[in-house]
Amino acid sequence: MATKRVAICAVAQHKNDSDLWHKRFQGMLLDVLEELQAQTGFTFDEETGVNTIVSCSDDFFDARTISNNGVTDVLGAQYRGEEKMAQEGLNAVGYAQAVILSGYADMVLVMGHCKESQSESRRMIANMGFDPFYGRAVGLDNLNAAALQARAYMKKAGLTEEHLAGIVVRARQFAARNPYANAREIVEAGKVVASPQLCDPIRQLHAYPVSDGAVGMLLASEERAAEFTDKPVWIAGFANCMDSYFLGDRDLTANFALKQAAGRAYRKAGIADPRKEIDLVEVMDAYAYQQPLWLEGLGLCGDGEGARFLDQGGQEKYSVNLSGGMLAGNPVIIAGLYRAAEAALQLKGEAGERQVPDLHRAVAHSTTGAAGQFHSVLILER
Amino acid sequence: MTEYFGTTVADIFATMPKRFKPEEAKEVDIAIGYEATGEGGGKWKATIKHGTLKVETVEGELTGCKTTIHTDAETFVGVTLGKISALDALSSQKLRVAGDPKFLMLLLPKIFTPYAAPAKKPDAVTARDIIATLAERFRPEKAEGVAMTIGYDLAGEGGGKWTIVIRDGKCAVREGLADPLTVKMTMEAKTYAGMMVGTIEAVTAFTSGQVKIEGDMAAAAATAKYFRKYVVPGATEAEELISLRVTNSIEQRFATGPVMGRWFAGIREKKFLANRCPKCGRTQIPPREICAWCRVRVHEFVEVGPKGVVTHFDIVYFASPDPLTGAVRDTPYATVYVVLDGATEREAITVDLKKEDIPRLKEGARVRPVWAAVTTGSYRDLIGVELDEEEGSL
Repeated sequence: MATKRVAICAVAQHKNDSDLWHKRFQGMLLDVLEELQAQTGFTFDEETGVNTIVSCSDDFFDARTISNNGVTDVLGAQYRGEEKMAQEGLNAVGYAQAVILSGYADMVLVMGHCKESQSESRRMIANMGFDPFYGRAVGLDNLNAAALQARAYMKKAGLTEEHLAGIVVRARQFAARNPYANAREIVEAGKVVASPQLCDPIRQLHAYPVSDGAVGMLLASEERAAEFTDKPVWIAGFANCMDSYFLGDRDLTANFALKQAAGRAYRKAGIADPRKEIDLVEVMDAYAYQQPLWLEGLGLCGDGEGARFLDQGGQEKYSVNLSGGMLAGNPVIIAGLYRAAEAALQLKGEAGERQVPDLHRAVAHSTTGAAGQFHSVLILER
Repeated sequence: MTEYFGTTVADIFATMPKRFKPEEAKEVDIAIGYEATGEGGGKWKATIKHGTLKVETVEGELTGCKTTIHTDAETFVGVTLGKISALDALSSQKLRVAGDPKFLMLLLPKIFTPYAAPAKKPDAVTARDIIATLAERFRPEKAEGVAMTIGYDLAGEGGGKWTIVIRDGKCAVREGLADPLTVKMTMEAKTYAGMMVGTIEAVTAFTSGQVKIEGDMAAAAATAKYFRKYVVPGATEAEELISLRVTNSIEQRFATGPVMGRWFAGIREKKFLANRCPKCGRTQIPPREICAWCRVRVHEFVEVGPKGVVTHFDIVYFASPDPLTGAVRDTPYATVYVVLDGATEREAITVDLKKEDIPRLKEGARVRPVWAAVTTGSYRDLIGVELDEEEGSL
């Protein structure tokens, strides 16, 4: 008998760090797993425990073909079903939800990890995501694809250096209150504006720092959630959308895929007007300019109105990225899982110094592929 | 019937009625005689009158023809297929026309659709057919500065001995084997044909011993690029597709962590440190954070070995190359499954066996570690194992 609703019962995060050279990613995952077990008391019992694990990792970052094979022991997956979501972490939550809604399992463990510091350069790994015929050869990677998008979007939305600096300054203020964030030092706007150009118009402090991390979540059916938590967070809607692979095919400022994903997720959640029905948003802002761009895509402000949204206090109105966002540092593959983790903690009322009151509904957003080729949107409710 | 360029003179005439375009020949009134000399040749007469065609073979003299074509059978097929230029054949006198050649060259393409050699099944193609096409498939631009002689000794039906001479941007094919040769390849004619038409994989044929290569192996491997790919007559000619060769390399720094790290710290001291599950007691090699069977953290380390017993082994004859350098390990080499003394039965270590010991390797053999001269805490510290015959266990 399939359930009607799926709950995120618990979340556990490994602290993000720029260089966890002393720790295997297996060890990071084990810490996360043990914390989840401590929170919920779940077991791996064949009858009543976890028998399905959805993992998230990347072969290139792990430098291992079928990267999940090397971590199954610390996921508790040995002798159980385990499947990998290679694309990005938030999608793993969507996948786990589908597994439970289908009736295949009534509880699913979601476990994601990534160590950006393991390879010589995360940009080389991103470069491998491009076609080997042309894109790689011209040195495309996530950064310079984003910079193309940044310039186009800044022009369209009237976004200035001051806006970008303001986004970074605010992100650090919240990151300082998030014990799991990587870059937690407070910065002044002047320092952001003076930081070196990585890829004009993207400066060093506009870009998320190299990060290692791991995130785990326990999802359960409506019937079983109460066994593991008295504060379940419900998945009200999940959707995703893929845009075209070749950069040149896309209008970089149009948010085509994100609008599709958001529209589908809102419909599933019964949301008619996101501006009136969303209380909190976590967007995957790998670069400062992306925060207002993705907020446009989510329909929280109009097309090309990102700068005005910032000027009019939109970030506080919608409690945007109280975790510090990706700007404070999450590994790219699982930045979406960190977004969902923060949204869930906020709805549970467990967000510590970042907690805002009276939350009912939150959005977690994630993206992968150069300049936002693919987007996922998850709507959570209390 | 003797074949040229994958077909016969007789087939060209047999297909004439099918290729005839009566509507184009309404005004035509002509009888054409054909004399093709040599193997597979003969005499034919084609009479075209007011949109009708009659083709007949002729014994004796060709009579009543307004125009007659004289040539050898091979040139006739070659010109018909467009493999030989008609003008070249005319100027070299290999093809002679009694009558008006220009008139014929304009008329024939108008009233006949072009002849195409019948499609052949790949297995009907012989090595001889393929060798005959080598010179026309030669790519001088790929063989700049190359000087080599390649010998083919192809046994069985459709086979023979040939020498391919590549020099000064030219390629010549000669019957017989020259001496010296840069490289000589010996195989069954049907193996060669199979490799050329793609029904036999070259690497497999070589590694399984079906192809014997004497001389310069690298030269043998390079020959393919000097020729366009062989296409079975009548088969749709495959478009030559471009592929890219790229070596991808991103340096990695793998953490060993506090648990697996103990193993490497151990082998630096020439000790094997396993960690023992507090619940089931198994000794994990290499040590891991948890015992996956019991789902408990594992903290206790125990020294095992240094000697052990071989439980299984394999012997590698066909090594996979290093993905970055392409270097291939010296073969044969043995990979052995060793249960170290004091380790639990199912926790084996897989290591190399010293090469000289391979002939005497048996399941149950006792082995001892072979350490690097200087140990640094790397996986290279343990070179492998060697048979420990002092104990007399063999």
